[in-house]
Amino acid sequence: MFGSLATLQPRQLAAQVLNFALVLSTAFMLWKGLSVFTDSSSPIVVVLSGSMEPAFQRGDLLFLWNRGQETQVGEVVVYNVRGKDIPIVHRVIRRFGGGSAPLQLLTKGDNNAADDTELYARGQSYLDRSQDVIGSVVGYVPFVGYVTILLSEYPWLKTAMLVFMALTVVLQRE
Amino acid sequence: MHNTLTRVQNVFGFFTSVAFAVAAGIAMSVLLSPQAPSASLELKNVQVVKGRPHYYSTKREEYAHVKFDLDADLTSLFNWNTKQLYLSITASYPSSDPSTIPPSEAVIWDAIIPSDYAPLHPNTYIHPASKAKKSAKPKKKESGKPYPAGGSPGIVRLENQKPKYQITDVSGKIAKRGNATLSLHWNVQPWVGALVWTNKNSIGRWQGLQGGEAKFDFPPLKGTEVKKDDLKTETGGERNRGSPA
Repeated sequence: MFGSLATLQPRQLAAQVLNFALVLSTAFMLWKGLSVFTDSSSPIVVVLSGSMEPAFQRGDLLFLWNRGQETQVGEVVVYNVRGKDIPIVHRVIRRFGGGSAPLQLLTKGDNNAADDTELYARGQSYLDRSQDVIGSVVGYVPFVGYVTILLSEYPWLKTAMLVFMALTVVLQRE
Repeated sequence: MHNTLTRVQNVFGFFTSVAFAVAAGIAMSVLLSPQAPSASLELKNVQVVKGRPHYYSTKREEYAHVKFDLDADLTSLFNWNTKQLYLSITASYPSSDPSTIPPSEAVIWDAIIPSDYAPLHPNTYIHPASKAKKSAKPKKKESGKPYPAGGSPGIVRLENQKPKYQITDVSGKIAKRGNATLSLHWNVQPWVGALVWTNKNSIGRWQGLQGGEAKFDFPPLKGTEVKKDDLKTETGGERNRGSPA
């Protein structure tokens, strides 16, 4: 198996590596392009918790849109708690302001009895639409994102997948 | 050329393409399903009382307790791609500067009505039995369905319904605010595709919502004999009843 590697010329090896890099950079460009189009730092998110059941289950893929600054009550938004990097997907249940004033939102998960006041940063009672919200959910595909949850919960899966992908790319010439 | 790995790859590639095409087809096909939602919403009673946001808070704020009557027929919103309907009644009132700041809005009641084909989940709305039937057969158990007996998902008939949430303004003052509106909103959660919200205007085969609004004013603050904690609110089907974290 590794004998065939030795017969690879440097130019062919370089071409393979370039191919691989091209695939990676195209994927990255598509992601960043979608990020610019939706004006959201993370245009596609995976649902991580069960706090929006039965609407969203763990592993569902959500498509976000961040160009609608006048978020209405009933919309589902993804936000980051100030100071933490965990995106939370919950529904807006109250709004105050908007227009010339900063829009303040209160959110609550469909499967939570209490609203998110306890989740916000200390001293923060409402979300600021322009600062805290990453985007509003406009589309949804079930189950597809469960792979990312598996990858984050079982780190060995990530290494295994990378090794497998590297092997297939390098040995593809046969 | 025809080894197992290539075959598996080809099958998997074809599977993902077909799955993607089918999902896209289902998502777009909802536009063909006609909708004719209608609702009649009336305010039954509204009280404004003093209270605290939660037990350990030191803030004293005014909370509005709004009871309403609802008679809605939203069965046409349930098509082959509907997983559930999130129904909400909101109270909106003008802001401090109506010319530049849009009205504030707060949900007072919500319900999750799943489609009959959705898997059973505890966080589902249970439609209360009608008052007439209750007096005739007091021993009969509630059907436990999100719609009244003999109905289908989307039919909601509520009388003197208690709110789920008592609302306040960000300033803490909600008494004597005039020009408030009680309105019905929904959010259709599909099996796959785009989420849709309430449409008041007609688009193609989708007619806008007929009715579903009621105007009222927030009354002055009630005397101290009635407290926020004395007014009972409706309990929903949410499973996480403690802290949201």
